Amino acid sequence: MISPRSVLIVDGSADSRDVLRTALERRGLEIFEAARADEGLILARQHKPSLIVLDLDIDARSAENLPLEFEQTARGEQTPLVLLGNIRRPSDDVCKFVAKPYHYAPLIRKIEQLVAQAGATAKD
Amino acid sequence: MASLFVIQGRDQGVRFELEPDRAVVSLGREAGNSIQLHDTEVSRRHAEIRRLGETFTVVDLASSNGTFVNNELVKERELASGDQIQIGRSYMLFTGPGVVAPHDASDNIDIVAQRGTADRSRIIHTVSQEQGSQIFFSGPEAGQSPWLARARSNLQVMYRTALAVSHTLDIDQLLIRIMQLIFEWVEADRGCIMLVEQESRQLTPKVRRNRTGVSAEEKITISQTILDYVMEHREGVLTSDAREDDRWNAAASIVQLGVREAICVPMQGRYDIVGVIYIDTSTPAQRAIVQPSRKFTEEHLKLMIAIGHQAALAVEDTNYYSAMVQSERLAAVGQTIATLSHHIKNILQGIRGGSYLIEMGLGDQVKLLAATEGEQPEPINVPKLAKAAETIRKGWDIVEKNQNKISALAMDMLTYSKEREPDLCPASLNEVTGDVIELMRARAGELQVELVWLPDPLLPQLTFDPEGLHRAILNIVTNALDACREAEQGSVQVESKYCPDDALVRLTVTDNGPGIEAADRDRIFNVFVSSKGSRGTGLGLPVSQKIVKEHGGRIHLESQVGVGSRFVIELPAVVPEAVKHTGVMPRMPT
Repeated sequence: MISPRSVLIVDGSADSRDVLRTALERRGLEIFEAARADEGLILARQHKPSLIVLDLDIDARSAENLPLEFEQTARGEQTPLVLLGNIRRPSDDVCKFVAKPYHYAPLIRKIEQLVAQAGATAKD
Repeated sequence: MASLFVIQGRDQGVRFELEPDRAVVSLGREAGNSIQLHDTEVSRRHAEIRRLGETFTVVDLASSNGTFVNNELVKERELASGDQIQIGRSYMLFTGPGVVAPHDASDNIDIVAQRGTADRSRIIHTVSQEQGSQIFFSGPEAGQSPWLARARSNLQVMYRTALAVSHTLDIDQLLIRIMQLIFEWVEADRGCIMLVEQESRQLTPKVRRNRTGVSAEEKITISQTILDYVMEHREGVLTSDAREDDRWNAAASIVQLGVREAICVPMQGRYDIVGVIYIDTSTPAQRAIVQPSRKFTEEHLKLMIAIGHQAALAVEDTNYYSAMVQSERLAAVGQTIATLSHHIKNILQGIRGGSYLIEMGLGDQVKLLAATEGEQPEPINVPKLAKAAETIRKGWDIVEKNQNKISALAMDMLTYSKEREPDLCPASLNEVTGDVIELMRARAGELQVELVWLPDPLLPQLTFDPEGLHRAILNIVTNALDACREAEQGSVQVESKYCPDDALVRLTVTDNGPGIEAADRDRIFNVFVSSKGSRGTGLGLPVSQKIVKEHGGRIHLESQVGVGSRFVIELPAVVPEAVKHTGVMPRMPT
């Protein structure tokens, strides 16, 4: 049995998590969420989701280099990582940057697209 | 070894040591004295210093002019280190035994708490800051020695200049004071201070003053030659008559302008010349013949240079200070905008999320309803319709929450920026706090933090601004809940306590969160300092503090890292008049 495609949402804002969960669940995706970066990292290693969404405004106190750890984990697993925040860096095959404040419709389209791509490569 | 040091008189600079094996040391004009003073005002055998152990006493031997200790005529007086003995025209400084140069200050200095045998000193005179300037007037010798009188007068001018420059941060006011001082001290007809403009490097007149009787309309014409000389050579100049002074040979301007006597000094600061001070006086030709002596002397010039230097330092300081204030202000504005825009962006993000859900739900609804119409109408899919409504509801909740956030932010900004009087009326602090607790219950539940409210049943109606305090308490309780968000078993306890003896009411908010580092404890009351990352505006605590201060109260903080924090709001318990008269005021159990 093919496990459903899943998305891990790591975001300090409960509202943002809620919106993403509601929108993505309708599209048949399984959702894991974490309010803290360190918890998110544990979930990422445990569930190996198809895609990770990480809000970079996440509690700065929980550790500065956690985004970097996420990046390493994501690269190791070839999991697309969508980073929400104010980092000016060009996106590559793994890391996709989305500037805040973002609109949800394009973000969700992008997530869907990336999950589909990841699924396609996984089948190959 | 004890000693007498002659600070003034014929024997000035001589130190007489009071040898330990001598019980009596005599002072007088005659050669037979232990200490012979070459002073005609001193009697042949004038006085004795008697020693008993470590104690020295000066005894007057019925001298004709008397013996003075610290300007006081004495027959006999025990001496303390630092006492000034005046005999005739000679001034001597007494230094007691055992006063040696200390090697290490901390080893040799004891601060004696109680007056014991070790401490024989007593306060014999105090001088306040204001009196400090007057010490230069006093003293019987002021009339005796013209040199001393002049020195004192000069010292006084410098002292007053120093005072004048240290008491203001307003340059214009400072310059006016300097000019005023100069006019009090020297007979100048006209004077002005010019400052170097920072941009153009040109001298610009700032202050001008005339002696009473000198027409104010008369323009001060200052020779460019003098100004150039002063600026270039960084020297003060005294000009008496231009034609006699070969420095001005090249320039006939002074002669034409009719300047008889002038002093022009640079205002030399630490780094640069910041301006010049100029004074002049003109004596009509007839009087100059009758009274050929100069009004301005070299001494005036020297003192003017010193005043110029003092004034320049003050001008530099003031300029530096205003530049600093200005740049700090700009930095603060920048920080304010950055923090606010970040916060507003987060709220906007929330509203977009909520709107997105609403739009999604509405879209679903339209589709579901469309399916019930048309050529092949389907029955209404109630569960799906309910699900759509639920999505809309969820979105709306998010929009509403962020709407509240932006309104709270606006209120906090308003409270913080505005000078306002609290809107006082009789109200119940327990009720106001209870409202806050009810409002925060939902949030506490969300964060799984226990919220305990312990109102003091004896708290009477008090006079305060209920809306203001609501805001102040709300911010502190919100912080406490947020502090517990990561605690295992988060708990926030709010307690009111009436203390009629101190006429106080205490509201304590205790949390078992991570606590606040000592270094942060003072900072957290600063505006825009938030430890809550993107969730905090950095306005909450400053606003609470402002409101509480407006009520004449205070907020203090006790915190221990790893244990929790406690914020205590102390408010003066103002019992409303009406309550007082009806005697409803409760009594505290003793």
